[in-house]
Amino acid sequence: MLQYVTLSIDGAQVKAVKGSSVLDVAVEYGICIPHLCHFPSLSDFGACRLCIVELVRNGRAKVTTSCTLLVQDDMVVRTNTEKIRKLRRNIAELLVAQAPNSRAIQDIAVRCGVREVRYPFRNENCVLCGRCVRLCTEMWSARAIGFVGRGKARHVDFPFGVRPDFCKRCQACVQHCPMTITPCDGPMERGEERLCGKCESQLQVTEKIPDACVLCDLGQGFNCARHG
Amino acid sequence: MAKLATIEDLANLQGSLAAERERDGTTVIVCGGPGCHASGCCAVADALREQLHKEGLTETVRVRVTGCHGFCEQGPIILIEPGSIFYCHVEPADVAEIVSSTICGGELVERLLYMEPASGSRVRTESEVPFYRLQDRTLLALHPKIDSSSITDYIAVGGYSTLAKVLRDCSPEEVIREIAGSGLRGRGGGGFPTGRKWASCRAAPGDEKYVICNADEGDPGAYMDRSLLEGNPHLVVEGMLIGAWAIGAEQGYIYVRNEYPLAVEHARTAVEQARELGLLGENILGSDLCFDVEVARGGGAFVCGESTALMASLEGKVGEPRPKDVHTVEEGLWNKPSTLNNVETWANVPLIMQHGAAWFSQRGTKGSKGTKIFALTGRIKNTGLVEVEMGTTLRTIIHDIGGGGRDGATIKAVQTGGPSGGCLPAGKFDLPVDFDTLAQAGSMVGSGGMVVMDESTCMVDVARYFLKFLQDESCGKCVPCRIGIDRMLEIVTDITEGRGRPEQLDLLQELGETMRETSLCALGKTAANPVLSTLHYFREEYEAHIAGGRCPAGVCRALIEYVIDEEKCTGCGACARACPWDAIEGEEKKTHAINAEACRRCGICAAECAFNALLVR
Repeated sequence: MLQYVTLSIDGAQVKAVKGSSVLDVAVEYGICIPHLCHFPSLSDFGACRLCIVELVRNGRAKVTTSCTLLVQDDMVVRTNTEKIRKLRRNIAELLVAQAPNSRAIQDIAVRCGVREVRYPFRNENCVLCGRCVRLCTEMWSARAIGFVGRGKARHVDFPFGVRPDFCKRCQACVQHCPMTITPCDGPMERGEERLCGKCESQLQVTEKIPDACVLCDLGQGFNCARHG
Repeated sequence: MAKLATIEDLANLQGSLAAERERDGTTVIVCGGPGCHASGCCAVADALREQLHKEGLTETVRVRVTGCHGFCEQGPIILIEPGSIFYCHVEPADVAEIVSSTICGGELVERLLYMEPASGSRVRTESEVPFYRLQDRTLLALHPKIDSSSITDYIAVGGYSTLAKVLRDCSPEEVIREIAGSGLRGRGGGGFPTGRKWASCRAAPGDEKYVICNADEGDPGAYMDRSLLEGNPHLVVEGMLIGAWAIGAEQGYIYVRNEYPLAVEHARTAVEQARELGLLGENILGSDLCFDVEVARGGGAFVCGESTALMASLEGKVGEPRPKDVHTVEEGLWNKPSTLNNVETWANVPLIMQHGAAWFSQRGTKGSKGTKIFALTGRIKNTGLVEVEMGTTLRTIIHDIGGGGRDGATIKAVQTGGPSGGCLPAGKFDLPVDFDTLAQAGSMVGSGGMVVMDESTCMVDVARYFLKFLQDESCGKCVPCRIGIDRMLEIVTDITEGRGRPEQLDLLQELGETMRETSLCALGKTAANPVLSTLHYFREEYEAHIAGGRCPAGVCRALIEYVIDEEKCTGCGACARACPWDAIEGEEKKTHAINAEACRRCGICAAECAFNALLVR
């Protein structure tokens, strides 16, 4: 039988199935927590850090990722404080400066309120969200790709850089990659990268209830859990 | 040797070993620590054995190669017992004289004695050397007494008797109460109360539990854990045995980095010797305790010093941290409750159980008890390992024990806690060194590395160095750490190369705070500390780089210029011959000049000049 717990998310008392993550519960209740590496039915490993929330314990707030935080009775979570918005904005800024040529990343930047990018743009193809690796490992049990290297050299690759026989070319990794859809105006050439920001109009609705999911289209670029 | 089946067996063995030791005549103790190894202690020990053999003294004089004595600057160091005669900078050529004069003749070799720099007088024994006199050596004091690869030496000085006492007299709960009462906090950097950690691990459900010793020390300039594990591995094993009894673990691991070959070897030898004597295995000393230890080697990733990454590495997975929403004391190694402590923490355990919690907690400050070993390195006169009471001021450690700056230079700052710590300026040297005070000041005790810097160090360059280190060592899993460090390095490099902009300082601050709050593990959370602390205490240096376009310390190549002092230059031509870029011209015996366009500012000329005629501008 399913066990339930009651917790408070942004002041609302919500009932949730024991064992589910705060992110899943929040999205289910229509609370928007931006996320990137989280993908329904895959394990969460807390890499993108966009889904950070404040967990209040003994009067002290601790910042942690909601995808890896499992619900507990009497848990108090705040998803949209001034501090969290600022931290999220800074992370989104890092991401969009790294890979501006992805609609998903541009959407996330808009949703997190990035208005300017203070770092020189790079035009990278991968932000190491690890969806492909986890899909290949967990859903297809193929383990054909994995993370290679450490730090700045970390990248996704086949074992020893060669496509193994057990890669079934199912293309699931490509389909679920948030980097495959280019920004609406088409790909940006090197040196032309910019913050797109066109979809900002979509967000007007949300200013009164900043944490509410408004079923915006922004999440389509990266399979927002709400769409899944 | 036969297995020790009971506590009495151990006591008997210890009695006979101690008696045997008392009969020992002269003992020559050669420091075999990392510092003395580097300065050639092995050759000294070999020469000593050869000389003793030649003179037919092998029966009466014992040579003991031990763990680090601490005063690495003066290595190789030897001590001659009885009498505690302290010789430093000993070379193989000195050995014949030492044997003939001191060992046979009872006379001192004056020139090998330590010279007190202030008075110029020679001192005879170790305890008269100011470097040692001002310390409070508890853990390190055991090193000279023990041959680091001999279990008999350790037992002879009372080793494993604390374990016997614990097994006979204390329940696990009592051990935990004693450790908690002592106020011991984790020596690896976090400073988490050890007693509380053990209590939660004991309380965690599950019958399979693990204890782990973290010897993956990797901070630049730190070698406390290395010298402990090399010098006294049985102390660590005994600590782990007591921990296993308290927690209810049957398996332990020592995770030691492979770059410490001697530590790996000594840890393995210690474990084998303990197994042979039945101090590891089933029903240890006739009690209910069954425990064994395995030595695992780390493959050189700094991040594997982080507890969850270390456990992943032990499991054979990629050494990456995982979120710690569930603590490792509940779900650690193979998802079983695990207690991970640093080498120094484990080494303190037998001493606490031997002397009692009150003995341990009488030293230290309100929140930090006991003594702590620090590795004193950098631009300081007396580099080495020092062990002081918690709460000793930085000034005492750096100026009194460390002897102040090298070559009379003024000390500007000290970097404590490695890449996770921060730089504290000379104005903060009256702060007592304990966990809470240093954290408040924007640094941390960390594992205990202290890198001292003088006026010739550029603080922006220091920040850049640590960022470069962390960029290589971050696992790269989470965004704030991987991209954040990379961007920070980009900005700091811009500043050191003269492309900095004033608004970048605020960006550094904001980015650093974001990394601190949002990174996945402690590496990322603390990665910004070197930048944030230098930015806080040495902002004027950053501003000088940006606004003034100059590097006050004369380090950042893009912002400096070498010029030849016309008055000092004798025209010897040494600089011109040394310059790889042919940037120095001048006729013989006449003042030379530097062609600024060809000069790459490598500084080779300045190092070559015997007249200090090359100035940095």
